[in-house]
Amino acid sequence: MNPQAKITQSQKLMVFVLSMALYGLATLFTELIPSFQVGIVEFSVEYFLFIPLSLAMLFDPLSAGLGAATGELVFSEIMLGQFGGLGELEKFITVTIGVYIAGRLVKNPRNRAAVAGASILGVIVQLFMGCVVDILKVQLAVEDFEAVAGLPESVFFTEGFAFLNDVLFSGILFCMLPTMFLVPKLYGKIEPLLGMKPRDEKTVLGSGQGIPVKGIVLCIVGFAAAIGAELLASGGYELIDWEADWAGSGSAIIIAIIVAAVLALVVIGVIRNRASRSGETV
Amino acid sequence: MKKLTENILDKLTIDYLRNQVLKNAYGNDDTVIAGLDPRILLVWYLFFGLVPWFLDDVVLLLCLFVFTALTTRAAKIAPLVLFLFCIGVFSQTGYLFIVALFFGGNAETVAPLLVMTLKVAIVSLASITVFSGLDPDRLANGMLWFGCPGQLSFSISFAYRILPVLMEEFQNILLSYRLRGNPPARETLFGKIRYLGYQVRMIIQSFYPLMLNTAKRSRTTVEALELRGYRYSIQDPKVKQMKLAMLKVTRTDLVFAGISVMWVCVSAILSAVI
Repeated sequence: MNPQAKITQSQKLMVFVLSMALYGLATLFTELIPSFQVGIVEFSVEYFLFIPLSLAMLFDPLSAGLGAATGELVFSEIMLGQFGGLGELEKFITVTIGVYIAGRLVKNPRNRAAVAGASILGVIVQLFMGCVVDILKVQLAVEDFEAVAGLPESVFFTEGFAFLNDVLFSGILFCMLPTMFLVPKLYGKIEPLLGMKPRDEKTVLGSGQGIPVKGIVLCIVGFAAAIGAELLASGGYELIDWEADWAGSGSAIIIAIIVAAVLALVVIGVIRNRASRSGETV
Repeated sequence: MKKLTENILDKLTIDYLRNQVLKNAYGNDDTVIAGLDPRILLVWYLFFGLVPWFLDDVVLLLCLFVFTALTTRAAKIAPLVLFLFCIGVFSQTGYLFIVALFFGGNAETVAPLLVMTLKVAIVSLASITVFSGLDPDRLANGMLWFGCPGQLSFSISFAYRILPVLMEEFQNILLSYRLRGNPPARETLFGKIRYLGYQVRMIIQSFYPLMLNTAKRSRTTVEALELRGYRYSIQDPKVKQMKLAMLKVTRTDLVFAGISVMWVCVSAILSAVI
């Protein structure tokens, strides 16, 4: 066992793999369980975020968060073919940030109150970021947002409601309670399996006290990147409005498409060249 | 309520899930799509995943939709995935329409939402074609070629291999809990809710042994990786080149790319004429 209670690179990789496999499996289930709607109130087993949350409180938070986000991406998006391109980056970043914050906040995993508070905070952070991004997305993606009768109110209403609903229902039932149950139970049992010492007040990872300023700045930058990616993925109108003179006419679209096609052909040609060259050298 | 429990229990047969996922991953190696070069398909996906967002011509979008539907059919996607696709499209835009009606919208609300639904549908169908139609190893190699981090392509290959094992283990644990447990009676409505809660609690509880087992397994995996110098090899360009030497662009790939370009041009002209 490592005497300095420091985490080595390979142990970080272990946490990453563990978090990825478990959370991936869980999201695969939640993706497949249909949600149940009473009117517009949706009761769904939104996600099993308790798995990465528990792992982040017991091990290195960043590896657990990244692992969970990768697991979700690979298992439930790529494997089931629901990969949304750049838009997935938003979920990836928000999950990582939420889990990381929750993991950093807990100093003593045996303290149930701290675990509960940190886990619900992590969930709220994650859901709130998702909610903001969703509202922005619909606002920018639907043409003449204000002009469509009833749409602005309905978007704010559904998103705000979904946020509250998720926090109160999935957040408490599927994140806070299971984490409270699992973390103290796993504490001291799961660490030796990865060859490390259980975490306590003295061996809080990294620089130690709470969340460092650098962490907060990184989180904010990450969130900005998430919004940017999401808007880039879905807010095509924004760009077209910006160059409104030529867009919209049929010929412009055709030219644009032909340009894109030519570009694609060029890329393919480059690929071919490189493929044949590497074929010669190997 | 009865329908709900039935529905959930129906989907919760883990054997069914495992079969569908495995079928989706490895069951369609012989299709046209699976035989294509992953790099071409990724470029193709880049086009069909981005361009629809910038279009708002209904005819053009319909044409593209038909094309992606055809490629999805050619890729022989598992029915479960298609079902999820329909739910996904509805949950992204369909519900907005209903709520907008509720807040005093009318038939005019339909037009922008139809355009948006078509866009979402095209993009998701393209992603289903590429990401479900391709063999995971080929997909991982294709992404590696475009410079995705080595961890991601490792995760994809690893996920497809570990998933059947994990699912089987999860099922065994769940069954052992079920054998030992005493489920509440489910005659009344209240009993049914309690039964549902009991099931969910059992699933959560069975993650406890699963976590411990997976921890052991992930340590073994990582140690095996370290023995082979994994962390050095993902940074070494030579290793990458050797890994990617299997990728070849063939005549079929060019034909596929040609058909796609032709289709897009023809539909653009069509939309300009109409």
